[in-house]
Amino acid sequence: MSTDAYRSLHANPYRPWPARITSIRDLTEKEKLFELRLIDEDVRDAFHFAAGQFVEVSVFGVGEAPISISSAPSKGGFIELCVRNAGDVTGALHAKQCGDIIGLRGPFGRGFPFEQMKGHDVLLVAGGLGIAPLKSLINHIHDERYDFGNVTILLGARNPDEILFRAQFDMWKHRDDFNLVMTVDVPDDSWDGEVGLVTRLFDQLEIDPDNTFGAICGPPVMYRYVIDEMRKKRMDVDRIYVSFERRMKCGIGMCGHCGVGHQYACIDGPVFNYWEAMNLQEAI
Amino acid sequence: MFFRVMDKSRLPDLVRGLSASYEVVGPIAKGDTFVFAQIDDPRELRLDYTTTILPPKKYFVPPAEELMRFGMAANEVISDEVRAHPRVIFGLHPCDINALMLMDNVFLGEYEDPYYKARRESTLIVGVNCTPEAECFCNAWGTDEVHRGFDIFLSDLGDRYFVSLCSVKGADLLDRYVETRQVTADDTAEFQRVTRHFKQSFVGEAVDTAQLPLLLDAKFNDPVWDELGEACLSCGACSMVCPTCYCFDVKDRLDADGQAGSRVRTWDSCQFSHFAEVAHGHNFRATSSSRVKYRYYHKQWGYLSKFERVLCVGCGRCERACKAGISPRGVIEALQAGGAS
Repeated sequence: MSTDAYRSLHANPYRPWPARITSIRDLTEKEKLFELRLIDEDVRDAFHFAAGQFVEVSVFGVGEAPISISSAPSKGGFIELCVRNAGDVTGALHAKQCGDIIGLRGPFGRGFPFEQMKGHDVLLVAGGLGIAPLKSLINHIHDERYDFGNVTILLGARNPDEILFRAQFDMWKHRDDFNLVMTVDVPDDSWDGEVGLVTRLFDQLEIDPDNTFGAICGPPVMYRYVIDEMRKKRMDVDRIYVSFERRMKCGIGMCGHCGVGHQYACIDGPVFNYWEAMNLQEAI
Repeated sequence: MFFRVMDKSRLPDLVRGLSASYEVVGPIAKGDTFVFAQIDDPRELRLDYTTTILPPKKYFVPPAEELMRFGMAANEVISDEVRAHPRVIFGLHPCDINALMLMDNVFLGEYEDPYYKARRESTLIVGVNCTPEAECFCNAWGTDEVHRGFDIFLSDLGDRYFVSLCSVKGADLLDRYVETRQVTADDTAEFQRVTRHFKQSFVGEAVDTAQLPLLLDAKFNDPVWDELGEACLSCGACSMVCPTCYCFDVKDRLDADGQAGSRVRTWDSCQFSHFAEVAHGHNFRATSSSRVKYRYYHKQWGYLSKFERVLCVGCGRCERACKAGISPRGVIEALQAGGAS
């Protein structure tokens, strides 16, 4: 959304807009997928976002939490949030029912450079809950698949039960327009996929370093190792994109909680290319 | 800039005059120190004060303020009314006026904070010149002077004030309530003499700020940060008394009946242990050394990378407030040490 459109709608950028929960899906034991619809029509019409951006979700009486958007920008009117029950606000959100109203502010931050990625191969690497922001990018690429070259998705999780969006990804394994590989640290009897860290999957990958964009999101410890693999494949530092999780309380560059190096994840990120991220102290 | 000269004995006229339409605040004595407080009697106003414990930021971002009221039944905002009343703050030193302008960059930038904006717009600033204290090092950043960001500025020339007028509002109000006269060549000469004397009154060595932002990166893993981390109590006092520290927390407070509540913003500090912790428990700055380092890194480099100014005005309040004896001058000196001379 342009700053002007945002301003006209949000004279007060701290004021959340009411949104109705239109569906709730259990993804795993800890994560649920919420589909939300902003109630005010003007607000809904003005709410445009890029894959990689986030919103601030309000449960009044409990507080706010930053959650990245998982649905594609091409899906008008609704947004999906993949939420892990990990704190006060997300816990209260998990207790909500379909039809309940919550508060929403945003979208905030800088997303993935979707337009620049067009015409190129894309390699997406997600670990655990890191798939939440990448899912938006994956869905957006899916909707405009003809504009992209080879699309590879490497998905890591601790065990098969913790793989998010598994039903959809199980189907995608059989598609020939997406090269999807899933791996788990600890397999169970039913698991017929890869075993081990996502970095192990790079051995079997063929990457055209002049033509490939990378996108990474996962637990803090994962970035360094995945970036190392991408660099070994000679991908350019400014074509490797990472999305950082930080404590983005206000979303508008004021509260200071999401400081990363000399920048703020909420307005300068949360998506950075690796050259930028390399220059952020303690980021990776 | 326009200038006038005002007899010192006229100051109470200005305070009384402004009281008619403004809440008047300014420095008053409290024990052996000074605080910004409401002025009921012009005689309480101490424009000869040294410095205050808390900076005037409390009048723009209060320690705790309600951002909005919400109702639990419909789960939505009931009101987010922005309240601000006309107020004049007397006696801001150049450092504190410069600090406000640094805050403006944050709160009135790409996004506008309506609460800050309303207070900023309804507040009149009357600055006054000062005498450097032992901890003052505003001259290192050029914040010992101020050329905008105020309405009226009073420079003490002994029996009279050399008055700088920066806004039409300030000029109008001065004209309405006080008798002033035109500036003579003698007044200007005296103003220059006072300024020169001020510049020479700084206590201690000049602070070496050479290449500070680059040094912060080059010495990011320097043991000095561990030593500072050992000493730091993570009490956050430095942030509370800092005129440029703007970080805040937001919390919901439910009314006793549970039917409605307030979303409240309070001052926060990057020195508090959970400041950079995310929901599932990972803390990006778990050690006090990483937090002390972050505070300096952000002030001297992070903020500067966006706004071309450091986020410090050299007021020395953090040094006075620190129970562990950490001072910005000491930290900068430690970073500068070790290089070949």
